[in-house]
Formats: sequence, C-alpha cells, structure tokens
Amino acid sequence: MTQESGATWTVADTKNLTVQGEIKGGVLIANTAGRVDGANAREFQDALETLLKDNANAMILDLENLSYISSAGLRVILLISKQLQGKGAKFGVCSLSSAISEVFQISGFDKIIPTHAAQSDALSAIAR
Amino acid sequence: MSEAISLKVKSDRAQLGEVIEAVEGMAEREEWAPDFSYRVHLALEELVLNVMDYGYDDNMQDIEINVTSDSDAITIEIVDSGKPFDPLSDAPEPDLEAAVEERRIGGLGVHLVKTLMDQMHYKRENDQNRLTIVARR
Repeated sequence: MTQESGATWTVADTKNLTVQGEIKGGVLIANTAGRVDGANAREFQDALETLLKDNANAMILDLENLSYISSAGLRVILLISKQLQGKGAKFGVCSLSSAISEVFQISGFDKIIPTHAAQSDALSAIAR
Repeated sequence: MSEAISLKVKSDRAQLGEVIEAVEGMAEREEWAPDFSYRVHLALEELVLNVMDYGYDDNMQDIEINVTSDSDAITIEIVDSGKPFDPLSDAPEPDLEAAVEERRIGGLGVHLVKTLMDQMHYKRENDQNRLTIVARR
C-alpha cells in the first residue's frame, strides 16, 4: 500500500461504489464516488475502516462524486465519526451535493460532524 | 407524463436492487430532476428496507410496491402483511441535537422520509400495512 503524498489507492471498487485513499499534507482523504445504500453500506464501512487502519490521526471524507446516500450510509459516517472522535482524531466531510447537504441537515449531521464546502476548506480546518 | 409500475418482491434485502432499478427506469423515461429522483429513491429505500428488516420474521414474505406518476407527483404505495407498523406514529424520533458520542443510530430513515415527502398516509386493513407517500414534482 502506497501512502506517499499525492498517491491514491483503491479500497472499494464495485459497480455502484468506489472509495480511494489519498494523502494530502499528511491528512488522509477518502474520495467516495457512486452511491451508498442499504445494499452496499457494509462495503462502504469496510473500505473506510481499511483506510483508517494505517492512517488513524485525521480523515476527510470527500463526497464530491457521491450521487446518493441513504440512512444506511449515514449510519456508517456516524460510526466512523464516533470511532475517530473517541480516539481524539480529527474528522470532516466535504463537497456535498445540494441533495446530500439537505439530507445531512435533516439528519442533524451538519451539527455534529464538521462539514465543509470544499476539500481545501476541510484541509485548512484540520490543519488548525 | 403518466405511468404506473407494480412489483412484488420478497422480504429479502437482496431484492432491494430490483426495486431501485424499477424506479430508476421510470426516472430515466420521465427525465426526473436529480434532486427529485434522489428524494423518491430515498423514501422508497428507507420504507421498503424497514418492512424487509422489521416487518417479517423471515425473508420469504411478499411486499407489493405500486408506483404511479402523473404530471404533478409520484405516488408510492407499499403493502405488506407483516407486523402492524405505522411509521408515522410508531417509529422512534431520532435525537437530532445529541452530540456525536451520544447520538443513537436508528429512527433516521423514517425521519428523512417524513421530512422529504409531501404526504404520507398509513392504513391497517385486512391484516395488511398499507403505506402511501406522495412526492410532488
């Protein structure tokens, strides 16, 4: 597994979901593309946990290319957030579509999980 | 713009894909706006999975799903013979104000559906749950 700055590696690659890790400025970015629903939420969780095995200090979940998430996927984000906060690690989510942003607000996630418009905002928030 | 689809699936999570694909086909034919399509898919997934996971004790029971569209709205009807369950009154309200470490998981799906749908009706008749939701375009 390569974890040089700038390199990416894939931890999930199925018809509906791709998750890739990337290190930027020492921070782990989880680039998530496709959709997360009740059928593949378990794969999403496994992929994020695989990424966190070697990089547990800070993670940004970049959802720019995510088109759909249901409560099953939100549950995974909450679990990951709990795991990281429990360890004192930093966690943030960025680049939500308008629909996903609405779902985050309705769920109250925007109040408990740091949510940023762009990846660069998330990176500067974590660096602080 | 009007169409109706009707499908019957088993109370097995593995059949969720079939339900989603059927509605995706309708969304493509009718060129639903992406945000509208998201709302409808989400409502359908949350409610169908609720019945699959909690309505029955095994995964071999029938769930009937009827989706009709007209120029104003999409109406989804979900019919099952499982345990009586009215998501409007029986689902626990999630605690949206709790901190991450205290936040309990669950109750979120129904909360999302209630918020995103324009109408939601529940009836128990002939030993069946009959849930109808309406999403205006």
